[in-house]
Amino acid sequence: MDRDSFLTRVGRASLTSQLPDSVSLSVDLPELPPADLLVLFRSRSQTVSAVVHGPVTRHGVPRAVSGIATGHDASSFMAWDDLPAPGVPSALQAVGMDRVDHVVPSERRIEHNLGYRDVGVGVTGAEAALAESGSVVLAHGEGRPRMASLVPDVHIALVELDRLERTLAHWARKNPTLVTETTNLVLITGPSRTGDIEQQLNLGVHGPRHVHIVMIK
Amino acid sequence: MTQPVTFLGRAEALIGTHEADAVDSGARNFLDLRAKSVEELPALEDLRDRARAIRLHALRHLDRLLAHFADQMQAAGGHVHWAEDAADARQIAADILDRTQSRRVVKSKSMVSEEIELNAHLEALGLDVTETDLGEFIAQLAGDTPSHIIAPVLHMTREDIGRLFADKLGVPYTDDPFELNRIARAHLREVFLRADAGISGVNTAVADSGSIVLVTNEGNGRLITTAPRVHIALMGMERIVSRWEDAAVVLETLARSATGQRLSVYTNVITGPRREQDPDGPEEVHVIVVDNGRSRILAGETAEILACIRCGACLNACPVFRTAGGHAYGSVYSGPFGSIVTPGLHGMDPWWDLPFASTLCGACEEVCPVRIQIPKMLLQLRQQAASEGRLPGWLQAGIARYARITVDPSRWARAKKWASRLSGLISTGRWIRRMPGPARGWTSSRDLPRPAKESFNDWWRANRGS
Repeated sequence: MDRDSFLTRVGRASLTSQLPDSVSLSVDLPELPPADLLVLFRSRSQTVSAVVHGPVTRHGVPRAVSGIATGHDASSFMAWDDLPAPGVPSALQAVGMDRVDHVVPSERRIEHNLGYRDVGVGVTGAEAALAESGSVVLAHGEGRPRMASLVPDVHIALVELDRLERTLAHWARKNPTLVTETTNLVLITGPSRTGDIEQQLNLGVHGPRHVHIVMIK
Repeated sequence: MTQPVTFLGRAEALIGTHEADAVDSGARNFLDLRAKSVEELPALEDLRDRARAIRLHALRHLDRLLAHFADQMQAAGGHVHWAEDAADARQIAADILDRTQSRRVVKSKSMVSEEIELNAHLEALGLDVTETDLGEFIAQLAGDTPSHIIAPVLHMTREDIGRLFADKLGVPYTDDPFELNRIARAHLREVFLRADAGISGVNTAVADSGSIVLVTNEGNGRLITTAPRVHIALMGMERIVSRWEDAAVVLETLARSATGQRLSVYTNVITGPRREQDPDGPEEVHVIVVDNGRSRILAGETAEILACIRCGACLNACPVFRTAGGHAYGSVYSGPFGSIVTPGLHGMDPWWDLPFASTLCGACEEVCPVRIQIPKMLLQLRQQAASEGRLPGWLQAGIARYARITVDPSRWARAKKWASRLSGLISTGRWIRRMPGPARGWTSSRDLPRPAKESFNDWWRANRGS
């Protein structure tokens, strides 16, 4: 069906539609009791099985990240090119880990993808962290592969302290246009999980089994 | 199909089975999680009002929002297609897959794809289609259909799944959920990375930015929209909100109502295909906007059901759903909302009996995050079924007679006397356990207290009246 006939039909249906009235759209953000955002973020992250580290100084980040990576016995890693702290890739290479290429070629895509099979660690830099839900927000784009927070067994997200926000709605209010500026924005709330088998919680079903969030002062 | 054609027939086959018990305990668990999660929210009622206003606003301006969404998605390099019905949607998807020479297709959970029976169509064309949500993957391996919209294989035990994996995947038998999960992960990881195309649903589209939002907990929804070259999203035409801020409210409400989470693990916002500077992502993004009966619902009395955000809370709260299980509804859309959506999309024939599969207790409306007036619409559909002459003759005649009696005080008084006398003949002690004739069905699953020998009115007249 072409666009015009489709939309005309929808428009015509709306004319006879018996939708109930509703209260007008409220524009205020929900009222929440005051809270220390970092304390809240830490406890909410814990309930979704994500681990919060720090805050550490910017130059303490590479050591913190390589400490987490070696704790998981990882032998390879992916990392964003523009992490909020310098020196992370070289610190991981210094402990013997290989960096996996993250630029997908337009030809031989599947061969490239198969190289992701056993990546140990992915390091990303978060646009924001949401205290109320224990989430991190990743804005993908140049130098920022989506796969880094998806295929490795361990995901390490770096977040600057001043990027903590209360809820998704608060952050969305401050950043109304970011969604149009990036092709892919992802909110991550803890490790990949499923309850599909007898409602038993299982972590790491398709995405990372471990999520570490390193706060930067 | 050998399945019984009525709700009652299907339900009777299920009640008391392991399946119905498992669905019941699973649904209660979801309900507890939801209750805990809403308790912590001081502004819950406010959030529900907002979510309702946002959804109703979108439905009122649906044509305008869809047009704006399509313009924005196209400006971002995506393609938007318009499907009048199921056949149209299947054809569009098949054409895209054919043109892009996609053979291996991975899917994340999409109710619309089940509604239009996409898998069977693609498999008949020789394509290799794999469901990747763990529950859906298990259902696909078993050749079964989902029994709950949030937990598709709520009805299967770990032993069932262990035997299935041993049989179909050639692995040693285990019934340890952790091991079963590991087996599925290893098997599907390979399938994701080798796939040519990914097919997903859409939880909500955002008109202003031309984005689609996909919510998953497992990460499969991200993998199938990142690894393959082509991404096709099937979108029910009502899944849209105006602004990114509105989407934020709907997403919070959805996660809390569905599984008691504050947010789902992955909220994936996609605005067009990979751009030149992006290191990864699909080369092509196609959104298929599906009508398939929705404009008919929008035009009528039950339009409000299109505000549904598919959280599944009404299923979990419904005593009928918990007793019979999702399969009793015989449709992709089960439970209270499904009893309105299914006859709306596919017509009253043969679905007219679904609105009767309810006690009208109102639990569904009470938990609905967008306050949809489900019982009211169920009644409207019952009325429609009756006025179309779809009820069995004895029921229609019985209700007509009952109506004549109740509107006349003297007839009502006489009827009460007769009922009291007759009940003496068929009751056991204080209860009537079996009624005669066509009324037998009513007592097949419930007991009726025996009417008192003397009515309250008679007692009042005798003892207190002047």
